[in-house]
Amino acid sequence: MQVKEIMHARVIAVKRATSLAQLLDLFKDFHSFPVIPVVDDSKLLIGVVHLCNLFDVFKPYHQDILIRNPLSMLSREPTDIFDIDIEEGIGNLVIVADIMDKKIVKINEDQSLKQAYDLMQLHGRGAIPVVDDQNKLGGIISVFDIVMAIFKEKGII
Amino acid sequence: MNIILGISLILLFGLFSSKVAEKIKTPAITAYLVIGIFLGPYLLNLVPDTVIKASGLISNFALSLIAFSIGQNFSRQVFKQIGKQVLWISVLAAFGAWFLVVIGLMVLGLPLYVSLMFGAIATATAPAALIMIVRQYKAKGRFTEILMGVVAIDDAWGLIVFSICLAFARKIHFNQTSSASIVVFKSLFEIGGSFLLGGVIGAVFSVLSRHIRNQRDLLIYTLGLIFLTAGLALHFHMSVLLSCMFLAAVIVNMNGQSFKYFEIVQTIDWPIYLLFFVLAGANLEINLLAQLGKIGIFYFLLRVIGKYFGTYVGAIISRADNDVKRYLGIAQMPQAGVALGMALIAKSEFSGTMGSMIFTTVAATTIFYEIIGPYFVKIALQRSNQLPIS
Repeated sequence: MQVKEIMHARVIAVKRATSLAQLLDLFKDFHSFPVIPVVDDSKLLIGVVHLCNLFDVFKPYHQDILIRNPLSMLSREPTDIFDIDIEEGIGNLVIVADIMDKKIVKINEDQSLKQAYDLMQLHGRGAIPVVDDQNKLGGIISVFDIVMAIFKEKGII
Repeated sequence: MNIILGISLILLFGLFSSKVAEKIKTPAITAYLVIGIFLGPYLLNLVPDTVIKASGLISNFALSLIAFSIGQNFSRQVFKQIGKQVLWISVLAAFGAWFLVVIGLMVLGLPLYVSLMFGAIATATAPAALIMIVRQYKAKGRFTEILMGVVAIDDAWGLIVFSICLAFARKIHFNQTSSASIVVFKSLFEIGGSFLLGGVIGAVFSVLSRHIRNQRDLLIYTLGLIFLTAGLALHFHMSVLLSCMFLAAVIVNMNGQSFKYFEIVQTIDWPIYLLFFVLAGANLEINLLAQLGKIGIFYFLLRVIGKYFGTYVGAIISRADNDVKRYLGIAQMPQAGVALGMALIAKSEFSGTMGSMIFTTVAATTIFYEIIGPYFVKIALQRSNQLPIS
């Protein structure tokens, strides 16, 4: 079975310029924070926002390079989210481009469920965006979708 | 006491010390170092001899992981991202400190190979300490951005300079024939060989990695790769640091999703770093401290002056603001983990007084840099108007 057969094609994606406040408003009624694809005007996938990227708002600088230095340990210590002073206007100041992750784990829609599952296992992700050959966003697939597909195949549901 | 008991004490005391350090807003590395001094043979003597003797092994473990992590910065994207000013300033600040310390200590009468080691160690800065200060004072602006960029990348330059200097220092010190051309040739052979080793392993295993399907296998595979590189480097008398750094550089440029290797290593590396720094403290020979006054002071000052002028020239070449020219140099004063790591390698390479002298001097000056450094960083941030008006 191919990824495109079971993926969710109706996905809420955001733009680079979407503000943090708009982003939070879009997802405030969700059970938990999903994987949010970021696309440009021609729907090409350019980034992803994970829950952990929201933590970047608490940090004074979004320093990609510092995280890569193993001894800049402070950037790796868990952020104390109960003890932060955050400016009120930050919801409109911070935009998606500031916090999105450019290290994207994605899968092509023509690949198999097995390949999608392996990729998610390898990267420790619960859901990943699906793209076509042009890197255009096609949908999202999660481990749950794959488990459901298997259950369906076995006649459990 | 057996080794396992010794290691358990180090881990638990190390954790305890970092909790205390958190309360008094001190970097964890300092805490590990201080608890190491307490546990070490001069005070409580709780670290068994066998563990102290294994310091070389543990530092090779830890430094191959550090070098591997730092190597991921050598990707095309990062070079595009860091910009001209950061590149010029970081390279010249490292060179300035290296040059001045090497020349100054040779004038003071230290042998060439020891001066080379001190010069190389002088290039390192402490990104962790700087982030903490920037965060504490809520500094913001162009100057702060350049400063963060510089300290993030300059440890990579530092490790390269150190590895190259170590190759030369080893050949100068251990080579029976003192012919300069043989020393240069053998050193270049070691450096080139390290690049080749890391490069070949990186290329081969990048291709093989498509058979790795889950996180458990990925962790085993990555550690296996790093230690294969480090082990072969040791076996052929090449540079562990350079080969592991180049291994990462090749992987990062060959594989679009290479971040998985670096993320997976981060899940287990911390206890190894802890062991490494506590042992660094335990290795400190307190009785040597008294004799080190002059060398220590010269090293301390020459490094700061070198960083200052290097930055100044780098700022002129890259047409940076006046504030960057004037104050970025002194803001790079803090020095900690990477420098200690380098010093520990120097100690294990050159057993005897010279190795101990390098390590003890660097450990002592590190503590001074950490006490005085933040104050100068604050002045630099203040003068360049990076602090919010309270």
